[in-house]
Amino acid sequence: MPERGVGGGVETDFGFARIPLREKQGRVDRIFRNVASRYDLMNDLMSGGLHRLWKDRLVAMLNPPKARAFDHVDVAGGTGDVALRIAKAGGPETRVTVADINADMLEIGRARAGRTGVSFVEANAEALPFPACAFDGYTIAFGIRNVPRIDAALAEAYRVLRRGGRFLCLEFSQVDNARLDRLYSAYSFRAIPEIGRLVTGDADAYRYLVESIRRFPSAEDFRGMIEKSGFARASFVKLTGGVVAIHSGWKL
Amino acid sequence: MTDKDPKQTEPETSRIDPRLLEILVCPLTKTTLEYDAKQQELISRAAKLAYPIRDGIPIMLPEEARPLED
Repeated sequence: MPERGVGGGVETDFGFARIPLREKQGRVDRIFRNVASRYDLMNDLMSGGLHRLWKDRLVAMLNPPKARAFDHVDVAGGTGDVALRIAKAGGPETRVTVADINADMLEIGRARAGRTGVSFVEANAEALPFPACAFDGYTIAFGIRNVPRIDAALAEAYRVLRRGGRFLCLEFSQVDNARLDRLYSAYSFRAIPEIGRLVTGDADAYRYLVESIRRFPSAEDFRGMIEKSGFARASFVKLTGGVVAIHSGWKL
Repeated sequence: MTDKDPKQTEPETSRIDPRLLEILVCPLTKTTLEYDAKQQELISRAAKLAYPIRDGIPIMLPEEARPLED
Protein backbone atom coordinates (compact mmCIF):
# COMPACT_ATOMS: atom_id res chain seq x y z
CA MET A 1 0.00 0.00 0.00
CA PRO A 2 1.31 3.45 -0.81
CA GLU A 3 2.40 5.40 2.21
CA ARG A 4 4.80 8.18 3.12
CA GLY A 5 8.46 7.14 3.11
CA VAL A 6 11.07 8.59 5.41
CA GLY A 7 12.23 10.97 2.72
CA GLY A 8 8.74 12.43 2.40
CA GLY A 9 8.03 10.95 -1.05
CA VAL A 10 5.25 8.42 -1.53
CA GLU A 11 6.60 4.88 -1.52
CA THR A 12 5.17 1.51 -2.44
CA ASP A 13 6.23 -2.13 -2.33
CA PHE A 14 8.32 -3.52 -5.14
CA GLY A 15 8.71 -7.11 -4.11
CA PHE A 16 10.46 -6.82 -0.75
CA ALA A 17 12.05 -3.47 -1.59
CA ARG A 18 10.45 -0.08 -0.93
CA ILE A 19 10.61 2.21 -3.93
CA PRO A 20 9.06 5.58 -4.82
CA LEU A 21 5.46 5.00 -5.95
CA ARG A 22 6.06 6.73 -9.29
CA GLU A 23 8.85 4.25 -10.13
CA LYS A 24 6.84 1.07 -9.63
CA GLN A 25 4.94 1.19 -12.90
CA GLY A 26 8.14 1.69 -14.89
CA ARG A 27 9.87 -1.21 -13.20
CA VAL A 28 6.86 -3.51 -13.63
CA ASP A 29 6.65 -2.47 -17.31
CA ARG A 30 10.29 -3.40 -17.88
CA ILE A 31 9.79 -6.81 -16.33
CA PHE A 32 6.81 -7.68 -18.51
CA ARG A 33 8.51 -6.29 -21.61
CA ASN A 34 11.44 -8.63 -20.97
CA VAL A 35 9.36 -11.73 -20.44
CA ALA A 36 6.31 -11.10 -22.69
CA SER A 37 7.11 -13.62 -25.41
CA ARG A 38 7.54 -16.44 -22.92
CA TYR A 39 4.96 -15.35 -20.38
CA ASP A 40 2.40 -18.10 -20.97
CA LEU A 41 5.09 -20.77 -21.24
CA MET A 42 6.53 -19.58 -17.93
CA ASN A 43 3.09 -19.78 -16.34
CA ASP A 44 2.85 -23.40 -17.43
CA LEU A 45 6.32 -24.26 -16.14
CA MET A 46 5.99 -22.47 -12.81
CA SER A 47 2.53 -23.69 -11.93
CA GLY A 48 2.84 -27.14 -13.51
CA GLY A 49 -0.12 -26.22 -15.71
CA LEU A 50 -2.29 -25.34 -12.71
CA HIS A 51 -2.81 -21.76 -13.92
CA ARG A 52 -5.05 -23.20 -16.65
CA LEU A 53 -7.32 -24.81 -14.07
CA TRP A 54 -7.39 -21.62 -11.98
CA LYS A 55 -8.35 -19.55 -15.03
CA ASP A 56 -11.01 -22.09 -16.03
CA ARG A 57 -12.44 -21.82 -12.52
CA LEU A 58 -12.47 -18.02 -12.80
CA VAL A 59 -14.42 -18.23 -16.07
CA ALA A 60 -16.81 -20.84 -14.60
CA MET A 61 -17.55 -18.43 -11.73
CA LEU A 62 -18.15 -15.59 -14.19
CA ASN A 63 -20.43 -17.88 -16.21
CA PRO A 64 -21.03 -15.52 -19.15
CA PRO A 65 -24.57 -15.97 -20.52
CA LYS A 66 -24.95 -17.84 -23.81
CA ALA A 67 -28.22 -16.31 -24.94
CA ARG A 68 -27.95 -12.60 -24.22
CA ALA A 69 -25.49 -9.73 -24.59
CA PHE A 70 -22.60 -9.62 -22.15
CA ASP A 71 -19.96 -6.90 -22.18
CA HIS A 72 -16.79 -7.90 -20.42
CA VAL A 73 -13.45 -6.28 -19.71
CA ASP A 74 -10.38 -8.25 -18.73
CA VAL A 75 -7.76 -5.99 -17.18
CA ALA A 76 -4.02 -6.74 -17.20
CA GLY A 77 -4.74 -9.73 -19.42
CA GLY A 78 -2.53 -8.72 -22.35
CA THR A 79 -1.78 -12.15 -23.74
CA GLY A 80 -5.50 -12.89 -24.00
CA ASP A 81 -5.33 -16.05 -21.94
CA VAL A 82 -8.40 -15.23 -19.83
CA ALA A 83 -10.21 -13.17 -22.49
CA LEU A 84 -10.22 -16.00 -25.03
CA ARG A 85 -11.62 -18.40 -22.43
CA ILE A 86 -14.44 -15.95 -21.67
CA ALA A 87 -15.18 -15.41 -25.36
CA LYS A 88 -15.39 -19.18 -25.81
CA ALA A 89 -17.58 -19.72 -22.74
CA GLY A 90 -20.03 -16.97 -23.68
CA GLY A 91 -22.52 -16.70 -26.51
CA PRO A 92 -22.43 -14.85 -29.83
CA GLU A 93 -23.24 -11.59 -28.03
CA THR A 94 -20.40 -11.86 -25.54
CA ARG A 95 -18.00 -9.01 -26.24
CA VAL A 96 -14.62 -9.09 -24.53
CA THR A 97 -12.21 -6.18 -24.30
CA VAL A 98 -8.67 -6.62 -23.00
CA ALA A 99 -6.97 -3.66 -21.31
CA ASP A 100 -3.29 -3.94 -20.44
CA ILE A 101 -0.61 -1.34 -19.77
CA ASN A 102 2.02 -3.32 -21.63
CA ALA A 103 2.22 -3.12 -25.45
CA ASP A 104 4.31 -6.28 -25.81
CA MET A 105 1.80 -8.41 -23.94
CA LEU A 106 -1.07 -6.95 -26.03
CA GLU A 107 0.78 -7.71 -29.24
CA ILE A 108 0.94 -11.39 -28.28
CA GLY A 109 -2.71 -11.42 -27.28
CA ARG A 110 -3.91 -9.87 -30.47
CA ALA A 111 -1.90 -12.24 -32.63
CA ARG A 112 -3.40 -15.11 -30.68
CA ALA A 113 -6.95 -13.79 -30.75
CA GLY A 114 -7.14 -13.66 -34.56
CA ARG A 115 -10.77 -13.17 -35.58
CA THR A 116 -12.37 -14.11 -32.28
CA GLY A 117 -13.66 -10.55 -31.90
CA VAL A 118 -11.73 -9.85 -28.70
CA SER A 119 -10.60 -6.19 -28.64
CA PHE A 120 -7.32 -4.92 -27.26
CA VAL A 121 -6.50 -1.54 -25.77
CA GLU A 122 -3.44 -0.25 -23.95
CA ALA A 123 -4.61 1.29 -20.69
CA ASN A 124 -3.83 1.74 -17.02
CA ALA A 125 -6.02 -0.17 -14.52
CA GLU A 126 -5.99 2.96 -12.32
CA ALA A 127 -7.45 5.16 -15.08
CA LEU A 128 -9.52 3.11 -17.51
CA PRO A 129 -10.59 4.66 -20.84
CA PHE A 130 -14.18 3.45 -20.50
CA PRO A 131 -17.32 5.30 -19.45
CA ALA A 132 -19.15 4.46 -16.23
CA CYS A 133 -21.49 1.45 -16.33
CA ALA A 134 -20.02 0.06 -19.57
CA PHE A 135 -19.54 -3.61 -18.60
CA ASP A 136 -21.36 -6.56 -17.10
CA GLY A 137 -18.18 -8.27 -15.99
CA TYR A 138 -14.65 -7.28 -14.95
CA THR A 139 -11.82 -9.77 -14.44
CA ILE A 140 -8.21 -9.27 -13.45
CA ALA A 141 -5.99 -12.35 -13.23
CA PHE A 142 -2.55 -12.08 -11.66
CA GLY A 143 -2.63 -8.37 -12.35
CA ILE A 144 -3.80 -6.42 -9.33
CA ARG A 145 -0.61 -7.25 -7.42
CA ASN A 146 1.37 -5.27 -9.98
CA VAL A 147 -0.82 -2.18 -9.86
CA PRO A 148 0.84 0.61 -7.81
CA ARG A 149 -2.46 1.89 -6.32
CA ILE A 150 -4.74 -1.08 -5.76
CA ASP A 151 -7.56 1.04 -4.32
CA ALA A 152 -7.54 3.22 -7.47
CA ALA A 153 -7.86 0.10 -9.65
CA LEU A 154 -10.74 -1.21 -7.51
CA ALA A 155 -12.52 2.16 -7.75
CA GLU A 156 -12.19 2.05 -11.53
CA ALA A 157 -13.49 -1.53 -11.63
CA TYR A 158 -16.56 -0.39 -9.68
CA ARG A 159 -17.09 2.66 -11.90
CA VAL A 160 -17.00 0.80 -15.24
CA LEU A 161 -19.35 -1.98 -14.08
CA ARG A 162 -23.11 -1.78 -14.50
CA ARG A 163 -25.53 -2.45 -11.64
CA GLY A 164 -25.62 -6.22 -11.29
CA GLY A 165 -22.08 -6.44 -12.70
CA ARG A 166 -19.54 -8.89 -11.37
CA PHE A 167 -15.97 -8.26 -10.26
CA LEU A 168 -13.65 -11.27 -10.18
CA CYS A 169 -9.97 -11.24 -9.31
CA LEU A 170 -7.61 -14.21 -9.52
CA GLU A 171 -4.46 -13.60 -7.54
CA PHE A 172 -1.81 -15.40 -5.54
CA SER A 173 -2.75 -15.76 -1.90
CA GLN A 174 -1.42 -17.32 1.29
CA VAL A 175 -0.95 -21.04 1.84
CA ASP A 176 -2.70 -21.91 5.11
CA ASN A 177 -1.04 -25.20 5.98
CA ALA A 178 2.41 -24.68 7.60
CA ARG A 179 4.01 -27.74 6.00
CA LEU A 180 2.68 -26.93 2.56
CA ASP A 181 3.83 -23.35 3.09
CA ARG A 182 7.42 -24.47 3.79
CA LEU A 183 7.46 -26.50 0.60
CA TYR A 184 5.85 -23.69 -1.36
CA SER A 185 8.35 -21.14 0.01
CA ALA A 186 11.33 -23.29 -0.90
CA TYR A 187 9.91 -23.86 -4.36
CA SER A 188 9.01 -20.24 -4.99
CA PHE A 189 12.17 -18.59 -3.66
CA ARG A 190 14.65 -21.09 -5.11
CA ALA A 191 13.10 -22.82 -8.09
CA ILE A 192 11.02 -20.07 -9.68
CA PRO A 193 13.83 -17.50 -10.19
CA GLU A 194 15.95 -20.33 -11.60
CA ILE A 195 13.24 -21.44 -14.06
CA GLY A 196 12.79 -17.77 -14.95
CA ARG A 197 16.50 -17.40 -15.62
CA LEU A 198 16.61 -20.48 -17.85
CA VAL A 199 13.50 -19.67 -19.87
CA THR A 200 13.51 -15.87 -20.12
CA GLY A 201 17.08 -15.05 -19.07
CA ASP A 202 15.61 -12.82 -16.38
CA ALA A 203 15.85 -14.26 -12.86
CA ASP A 204 15.24 -10.82 -11.32
CA ALA A 205 11.82 -10.59 -12.94
CA TYR A 206 10.76 -13.82 -11.30
CA ARG A 207 12.39 -12.90 -8.01
CA TYR A 208 10.17 -9.81 -8.09
CA LEU A 209 7.18 -12.04 -8.83
CA VAL A 210 7.81 -14.25 -5.81
CA GLU A 211 8.47 -11.32 -3.47
CA SER A 212 5.42 -9.41 -4.66
CA ILE A 213 3.26 -12.46 -3.95
CA ARG A 214 4.50 -12.44 -0.36
CA ARG A 215 3.80 -8.73 0.05
CA PHE A 216 0.25 -8.85 -1.30
CA PRO A 217 -2.47 -8.36 1.37
CA SER A 218 -4.01 -11.48 2.93
CA ALA A 219 -7.20 -12.78 1.34
CA GLU A 220 -9.27 -11.40 4.23
CA ASP A 221 -7.61 -7.95 4.04
CA PHE A 222 -8.05 -7.85 0.27
CA ARG A 223 -11.71 -8.84 0.68
CA GLY A 224 -12.03 -5.81 2.98
CA MET A 225 -10.49 -3.54 0.34
CA ILE A 226 -12.95 -4.80 -2.28
CA GLU A 227 -15.84 -4.14 0.09
CA LYS A 228 -14.52 -0.66 0.88
CA SER A 229 -14.53 0.10 -2.86
CA GLY A 230 -18.31 -0.30 -2.85
CA PHE A 231 -18.74 -3.92 -3.88
CA ALA A 232 -21.47 -5.97 -2.24
CA ARG A 233 -21.20 -9.59 -1.14
CA ALA A 234 -17.39 -9.46 -1.29
CA SER A 235 -16.05 -12.97 -0.83
CA PHE A 236 -13.20 -15.22 -1.84
CA VAL A 237 -12.48 -18.87 -2.49
CA LYS A 238 -8.99 -20.28 -2.04
CA LEU A 239 -7.67 -22.84 -4.52
CA THR A 240 -4.75 -25.28 -4.39
CA GLY A 241 -4.30 -24.99 -0.64
CA GLY A 242 -4.29 -21.19 -0.79
CA VAL A 243 -1.63 -20.74 -3.46
CA VAL A 244 -4.23 -18.62 -5.26
CA ALA A 245 -7.60 -17.10 -4.39
CA ILE A 246 -10.49 -15.87 -6.50
CA HIS A 247 -12.11 -12.77 -5.04
CA SER A 248 -15.62 -11.83 -6.00
CA GLY A 249 -17.79 -8.74 -5.60
CA TRP A 250 -21.02 -7.41 -7.07
CA LYS A 251 -21.99 -3.89 -8.01
CA LEU A 252 -25.57 -3.79 -6.71
CA MET B 1 8.42 -6.04 -55.66
CA THR B 2 4.67 -6.07 -56.01
CA ASP B 3 2.40 -3.30 -57.17
CA LYS B 4 -0.51 -4.30 -54.97
CA ASP B 5 -2.59 -1.64 -53.31
CA PRO B 6 -1.02 -1.25 -49.86
CA LYS B 7 -4.51 -1.07 -48.39
CA GLN B 8 -5.23 -4.62 -49.53
CA THR B 9 -2.04 -6.02 -48.08
CA GLU B 10 -2.57 -4.25 -44.79
CA PRO B 11 -3.28 -6.99 -42.25
CA GLU B 12 -6.72 -7.11 -40.71
CA THR B 13 -5.26 -6.60 -37.23
CA SER B 14 -3.65 -3.24 -37.97
CA ARG B 15 -7.03 -1.48 -38.21
CA ILE B 16 -8.81 -0.32 -35.09
CA ASP B 17 -11.81 -2.29 -33.94
CA PRO B 18 -14.90 -0.11 -34.65
CA ARG B 19 -16.63 -1.35 -31.49
CA LEU B 20 -13.71 -0.11 -29.38
CA LEU B 21 -14.04 3.33 -30.99
CA GLU B 22 -17.59 3.52 -29.73
CA ILE B 23 -16.83 2.87 -26.09
CA LEU B 24 -13.44 4.48 -25.52
CA VAL B 25 -13.29 7.71 -23.51
CA CYS B 26 -10.40 9.85 -22.30
CA PRO B 27 -8.88 8.08 -19.27
CA LEU B 28 -8.30 11.44 -17.54
CA THR B 29 -11.57 13.29 -18.13
CA LYS B 30 -13.81 10.31 -19.11
CA THR B 31 -15.18 12.45 -21.96
CA THR B 32 -15.75 11.36 -25.56
CA LEU B 33 -12.96 11.26 -28.13
CA GLU B 34 -12.67 12.32 -31.75
CA TYR B 35 -11.22 9.75 -34.12
CA ASP B 36 -8.67 11.09 -36.58
CA ALA B 37 -8.43 8.23 -39.09
CA LYS B 38 -5.65 9.89 -41.09
CA GLN B 39 -3.34 10.59 -38.17
CA GLN B 40 -4.49 7.45 -36.35
CA GLU B 41 -5.17 9.40 -33.17
CA LEU B 42 -7.97 9.67 -30.65
CA ILE B 43 -8.35 13.26 -29.60
CA SER B 44 -9.51 14.41 -26.19
CA ARG B 45 -10.45 18.08 -26.43
CA ALA B 46 -11.09 18.19 -22.68
CA ALA B 47 -7.61 16.95 -21.76
CA LYS B 48 -5.97 18.59 -24.82
CA LEU B 49 -4.32 15.28 -25.67
CA ALA B 50 -4.12 13.10 -28.78
CA TYR B 51 -3.82 9.39 -27.97
CA PRO B 52 -1.97 7.41 -30.65
CA ILE B 53 -3.27 4.24 -32.29
CA ARG B 54 -0.38 1.92 -33.11
CA ASP B 55 -1.00 -1.16 -35.27
CA GLY B 56 -4.69 -0.81 -34.51
CA ILE B 57 -4.23 -0.78 -30.72
CA PRO B 58 -5.27 2.49 -29.08
CA ILE B 59 -2.71 3.63 -26.52
CA MET B 60 -4.87 5.26 -23.87
CA LEU B 61 -2.03 6.44 -21.65
CA PRO B 62 -1.63 10.20 -21.03
CA GLU B 63 2.15 9.83 -20.87
CA GLU B 64 2.14 8.42 -24.42
CA ALA B 65 -0.25 11.06 -25.77
CA ARG B 66 0.65 14.10 -27.85
CA PRO B 67 -0.26 17.40 -26.18
CA LEU B 68 -2.51 19.56 -28.37
CA GLU B 69 -1.66 23.20 -28.96
CA ASP B 70 -4.40 25.67 -28.04
